[in-house]
Amino acid sequence: MTRIVTVTSGKGGVGKTTTSASFSTGLAMRGFKTAVIDFDVGLRNLDLIMGCERRVVYDLINVVNGEATLNQALIKDKHCDNLFVLPASQTRDKDALSEEGVEKVLKDLTHMGFDYIICDSPAGIEHGAVMALTFADEAIVVTNPEVSSVRDSDRILGILQAKSRRALEGREPVKEHLLITRYNPNRVEAGEMLSYKDIQEILRVEILGVIPESEEVLQASNQGAPVIHQKETDAAEAYQDVIARFLGEEKPLRFVDYVKPGLLKRLFGGK
Amino acid sequence: MAKDLPIQFKGTALKIIQAQLRTADVALLHAALADLTGNSPDFFENDLAVLDFSNAESLPESADWPAIRQLLRASGLHAAATLGLPEGLAAAAEQAGLPTISASALSRPARAKAAEAAPPPPAVAEPTPLPAQEAAPAPVPAPAPRTITLDKPLRSGQRFYAKGCDLIVTAMVSAGAEVIADGNIHVYAPLRGRALAGASGDKSARIFTTSLEAELVSVAGLYRTFEAGVPADLARQPATVSLSGDGEPRLTVAPLALR
Repeated sequence: MTRIVTVTSGKGGVGKTTTSASFSTGLAMRGFKTAVIDFDVGLRNLDLIMGCERRVVYDLINVVNGEATLNQALIKDKHCDNLFVLPASQTRDKDALSEEGVEKVLKDLTHMGFDYIICDSPAGIEHGAVMALTFADEAIVVTNPEVSSVRDSDRILGILQAKSRRALEGREPVKEHLLITRYNPNRVEAGEMLSYKDIQEILRVEILGVIPESEEVLQASNQGAPVIHQKETDAAEAYQDVIARFLGEEKPLRFVDYVKPGLLKRLFGGK
Repeated sequence: MAKDLPIQFKGTALKIIQAQLRTADVALLHAALADLTGNSPDFFENDLAVLDFSNAESLPESADWPAIRQLLRASGLHAAATLGLPEGLAAAAEQAGLPTISASALSRPARAKAAEAAPPPPAVAEPTPLPAQEAAPAPVPAPAPRTITLDKPLRSGQRFYAKGCDLIVTAMVSAGAEVIADGNIHVYAPLRGRALAGASGDKSARIFTTSLEAELVSVAGLYRTFEAGVPADLARQPATVSLSGDGEPRLTVAPLALR
């Protein structure tokens, strides 16, 4: 049975697209047939992070408007056989997304036998973000350890439980997951960032994972390969843990403890 | 005799809201309404309204009546008539399906006149003005709920109004969320947002919570904010908020001994 998972946050720039890319890749690496859809119409980014921007011919809006078939628009990922990307349109505006159109695309993907459909939501709480979460079965709410990001996540959680189809039809509510990105334990220790425990206490949603702040994420974005491919880096390991927990495995949180700088580092500085 | 006529007429008393507008500017009205209702589509629960412009300071030559109606409808308020408009605007409003009524049709002045002539009616709390035909038999109202219970968290940006009754919330009320009740409010979880009890004036209403972390508490319109946070001896503790003092009521926040 197909599960529709929306990656959302309210606030922009917290790591939704990075998470969508690595999360969908991780599921595909585990053998699940996965589609990842960029709902950020007008500001398409997912194809850049997935490194398929030069292969975009048709996009989500073309499919919604019946100008292209899903098969024409889906781009096969270059790293994983099971992963397909449905890019956003760069030239339209987000009002071009109709609820019926989105529903049809998701139904057609279901009929094509996809195990997971990942919806990469735009920032904000406007039409595009609502379209991305309307049909969700589960939602990953991405939050940075700062108050404004947490507040916006709280807002989007409320919208999720008010505007999703599951809520409107009175079915079992959308399953909520909390993913904290750009986490820096040393800055938490110094009192400059909220701790993951604080965030969970405010939002009261189960933590799916904590992704450490790292340079690899930025590098990976610029190279057009999801960071989960960067073997043995903390960020990739943390995303692998996220996949494991999502699939029901027990994994303790990693990369959340303060590391005391060594003597040499303290003497000579450095990063 | 007349029972099977295709149309029959009966006098009735209908609740109607008097919306006092100081402007006909759609953008200004929109902003003010959004502030008040939080864009909640059922805020007014399909009430009828008279748009009263008597207090408007300056009105334009023309106004976008369909847009104003649409705007009010988005909050669940149906504009039925206007009041206090200059002639030109009134004619345009009439064209748009909003007839002009005279101020005397509203109950406040009518009641005042009646009070002069007749013995004072028994004191009945009337939060909203009624039209003049008060003598007509009132329709039997559906039994109002005594309490509304919410089991889901109220997140930032959400608001809930328990009209005419108590409100119980068994999950947290986030910072930026708002719970309002005409009666008492109970929150059996952290209360981090705003809570307004006795919203239509009940001074005996109270707020109860198992963990006081609120941004604002109010009883019967008297409110208190916690700009520097809730006082340390009450913060994150079970507490109750009530009005005390007869002459000059004060808002009191007191700890609750749960154990």
